[in-house]
Amino acid sequence: MKYKSLLFFTLFLTYYDANAQNRGKGLEEKVRNLKDLTAKYSMISLNLNRFKEYVRSPPRDYSFVVMFTAMAPSRKCAICQHVYDEYTIVANSFRFSSAYSDKLFFGIVDFDEGSDIFQMLRLNTAPVIMHFPAKGKPKPADSMDFERAGIHAEAIAKWIQDRTDVQIRIFRPPNYSGVAAFLVLFIFIAIFFYVRRNNLEFLYNKQMWAIIAVFICFAMVSGQMWNQIRGPPFFHRTKNGPVYINGGSHGQFVLESYIVAMLNCAVVVGMILMIEAAGGVNGKDVRPQEGKRRRFYSVVGLVLVCVFFSLLLSVFRAKTQGYPYR
Amino acid sequence: MPSAATENKANVPKKGIFNNTTGFSTLITVTVLSLAWLAGFASRLFAVIRFESIIHEFDPWFNYRSTAYMVQHGFYNFLNWFDERAWYPLGRIVGGTVYPGLMITSGTIHWILHTLNIPIHIRDICVFLAPVFSGLTAIATYLLTSELWSRGAGLFAACFIAIIPGYSSRSVAGSYDNEGIAIFALQFTYYLWLKSIKSGSIFWSICTALSYFYMVSAWGGYVFIINLIPLHVFVLLIMGRFSQRLFVSYSVFYIVGLLLSMQIPFVGFQPIRTSEHMAASGVFALLMAIGALKYLHSLNPKGQWKQLLILGGLVAAVTVFLAVVLLTYMGIIAPWSGRFYSLWDTGYAKIHIPIIASVSEHQPTTWSSFFFDLHVLVCTFPVGLWYCIKNVNDERVFVALYALSAVYFAGVMVRLMLTLTPVVCVLAGIAFSILLDLVLREDETPAPTQESDDKNLYDKAGKLKKRTPEPVGETGLGMNVRSGTLIAFMILLMLFSVHCTWATSNAYSSPSIVLASYGNDGSRKILDDFREAYGWLSQNTAEDARVMSWWDYGYQIAGMGNRTTLVDNNTWNNSHIALVGKAMASNETAAYNIMTMLDVDYVLVIFGGAIGYSGDDINKFIWMVRIAEGEHPKDIHEADYFTERGEYRIDSEASKTMLNSLMYKLSYYRYDSGGSPPGFDRTRGALPGLRGFKLTYLEEAYTTEHWLVRIYRVKKPDEFNRPRLPLAKRTIQTSNVMSKKLAVDIGHMTSKRRKGALKNKPILVKGKKVTKLD
Repeated sequence: MKYKSLLFFTLFLTYYDANAQNRGKGLEEKVRNLKDLTAKYSMISLNLNRFKEYVRSPPRDYSFVVMFTAMAPSRKCAICQHVYDEYTIVANSFRFSSAYSDKLFFGIVDFDEGSDIFQMLRLNTAPVIMHFPAKGKPKPADSMDFERAGIHAEAIAKWIQDRTDVQIRIFRPPNYSGVAAFLVLFIFIAIFFYVRRNNLEFLYNKQMWAIIAVFICFAMVSGQMWNQIRGPPFFHRTKNGPVYINGGSHGQFVLESYIVAMLNCAVVVGMILMIEAAGGVNGKDVRPQEGKRRRFYSVVGLVLVCVFFSLLLSVFRAKTQGYPYR
Repeated sequence: MPSAATENKANVPKKGIFNNTTGFSTLITVTVLSLAWLAGFASRLFAVIRFESIIHEFDPWFNYRSTAYMVQHGFYNFLNWFDERAWYPLGRIVGGTVYPGLMITSGTIHWILHTLNIPIHIRDICVFLAPVFSGLTAIATYLLTSELWSRGAGLFAACFIAIIPGYSSRSVAGSYDNEGIAIFALQFTYYLWLKSIKSGSIFWSICTALSYFYMVSAWGGYVFIINLIPLHVFVLLIMGRFSQRLFVSYSVFYIVGLLLSMQIPFVGFQPIRTSEHMAASGVFALLMAIGALKYLHSLNPKGQWKQLLILGGLVAAVTVFLAVVLLTYMGIIAPWSGRFYSLWDTGYAKIHIPIIASVSEHQPTTWSSFFFDLHVLVCTFPVGLWYCIKNVNDERVFVALYALSAVYFAGVMVRLMLTLTPVVCVLAGIAFSILLDLVLREDETPAPTQESDDKNLYDKAGKLKKRTPEPVGETGLGMNVRSGTLIAFMILLMLFSVHCTWATSNAYSSPSIVLASYGNDGSRKILDDFREAYGWLSQNTAEDARVMSWWDYGYQIAGMGNRTTLVDNNTWNNSHIALVGKAMASNETAAYNIMTMLDVDYVLVIFGGAIGYSGDDINKFIWMVRIAEGEHPKDIHEADYFTERGEYRIDSEASKTMLNSLMYKLSYYRYDSGGSPPGFDRTRGALPGLRGFKLTYLEEAYTTEHWLVRIYRVKKPDEFNRPRLPLAKRTIQTSNVMSKKLAVDIGHMTSKRRKGALKNKPILVKGKKVTKLD
């Protein structure tokens, strides 16, 4: 009889509504369950029942950090994967660090498995990382702001420290991809040289070196470094059609910098054409039958220089208010 | 490929008028250079003409102050100068933490002029130093370019650098800073280096080392030289261009330059202890090894030594590299410092050193600022680079490396546009010179026609007769094309000079301590609030008063106000700056604790809301918070200063922490100007969220005419929160015992009850008062 009632009680606990279930279970048991769950994986994947039980219902003395995401490929959430990777790093760092305690747990909710949780919390974007404090309801600051803090694991750890006072030292699995790529490149070049060891004339090709050097100049002068560091959009879409040129002088779009590089390139090509047409640096022998062709090239070069430089000027003017002096 | 020799042969007879008489070409050179000097000097005087002969901005004020100190007290006292007016309570050893070249230069000029009995104030020398040196830079550029290409190209380059905005941005009159003289030293060192590598003479190498010494004494950018020259040597070695000349010039330069550079106290042992300088010594070791191998080779030229030479060279290079890496790991050589490291890993500074990231000139460069600073040269200098590489020799390798490294650094940091500008001028000068030289050259009459005659001899006689009348028009470009090209390029150069003058005048000639605003009718109004405030400080405060402000204004307070500051633009102590930032970001009570800890007497804030000045402290405030958070993550959280939607606002929607921060309160205290409605903040375009509040721990001491500078006095502990007792009541005091009892009891009289309320305050004045009464 005793056993029966216990069994019944267990069944009751399992199948009755979640609230009653939680009231039944004590805090210690919940923590024990959670610890079991984190033994294998540092993150606990949550469905509605678990979410209600461990995250929302009252007897808690631990904080819960939950990421809401949509990982399924059909959802086409590109950033989710990045955030997931970084979040995993944070969770693992915490799980295997000396600071590991049962005061903080990491959870994850995928939209395709727990869309009702999304509805419950009125979330309509993903990814979101939220913190559910041990006491009280989550405040607005308890959902992390990716736009300001960024999505790096360090930023997440800092935010968690902000909210829970648990300090997590991020331990990244060392990234060998850079080293590997470098090695592969190096080996590739070495093989290339070895294969062509009897024919290294191309290294003495000044034209090639000159082209490389000039292209580095174009890239830098058109602000590719700025693009690299700031990561601007390719171009801007507005209601009135796409905008290619950023209106302010402190910003630029990727496409805009390509346009500028092309304009610079055209001016340089024009000038080189003119010089070559006029006889080149070394004062080549001038042959009479080439006169017409050279004049033609010279005019083409001049037109290139004038047209593309004035285009460059007009692009610059579009960016700088009140540029045409005075 | 034709070498330089054939090129000269080809060019000499064709140069026409320029080379006919040396006297004439020298006259032209001297005239053009002096005109370039004059033009460069004149275009840098806008600030003096518009405002007055005054030192600009921030750093120049420190340079001026230390120059004045050196002129007054002598050089050795300057080297030993301990400045107790800065970084209170730490102080600063100025002599050991400064590049003294600038001060010595202007001090020497001052001394010479005074020996000649020309009484000139040191301030005027400081103001006009940079424009004068721009002329010297033009001459150095001329010399460098004529070493590289031709004298015509040199003249072009000199004219370009005299007026180009990328350089005049740092050398307008009044901008008394290291860069003003350092660019001259840079160009001159490079010129001497090319000279020495061309001639292989010890004399020129020692000259290079001396010029390098001057550069080391003048600017921290000398690291660029000591890495670029070894890079040049290294690339020459790879290209198989080793020669005795290279060996002599580099080894002499390296040894003498190393010894000389270590004489500067601020540099000290860095050249042998830090990674930035290791490239130079590594290349030196490599050069020695290759020199030895070459010598062995020369002993037995017939043997199979070539492969041994290559192998030995590779082994030496790897050994040197591994040795440097090993020494770095062992800690004998310091690793790259953060400032240099951030040039390679561009995200480094933003994460680890917010104080570097906070400076606007450390941001990467957009294409429009390249264009703004270099104009037409930005799309012509690759032409010069192209021809330098196509007709390569030892020197042109150097200029190609110079261009590539400088263009990379300029892309990473706006500030390093300064090192790019000279090489752009050199290369663009070469490009323009090549083109105009060809276009302006007379159509060769004798040589080609004869040649064509020879060839035509094989043709039929009838055709020959038809051709001979107009061979000139056939072979050359023709008059129309020539003049068209000429006109187009003259227009380009005119556009360039107009742009340069405009940019120098409008963008780079503001002293920034005197502001000008223009009315609708074009009338100009001078806002002299900064000097007004600093003048007030120097006249109305105690001699040893400590003034707390954000670090931007440290040098100015010391230079103009002559008062002690806590932090200044020499940002060597991050934690001290963070403490000031924390005080500004905390609420009044917490800030008061920090301020008493630091013995602050006055607080100075810049507030631009009344006139719409955007560079004020509220706009910089978020950096103060960030820097403070870096050191005190427990107390300051950046997120608290934003609204819930992550906006940075000051109006009624601003966050509570923001509204209660000291900086906010000091900026908006009693503020009722700024148009309608009164108290409107023009810079942010909003009405402050908290108004009509009172300050407990500070009192307003002075506010300038346009509210730009606000100075507050920090109250002493016995000055605030004291109940105002009428005189009569002060005299009738109960005995000590009675009052104690009453304070513990729930009070009887209202006055007593008010006294009791005092007890909860953190700093209790009552005890003091009682003892006084005893």
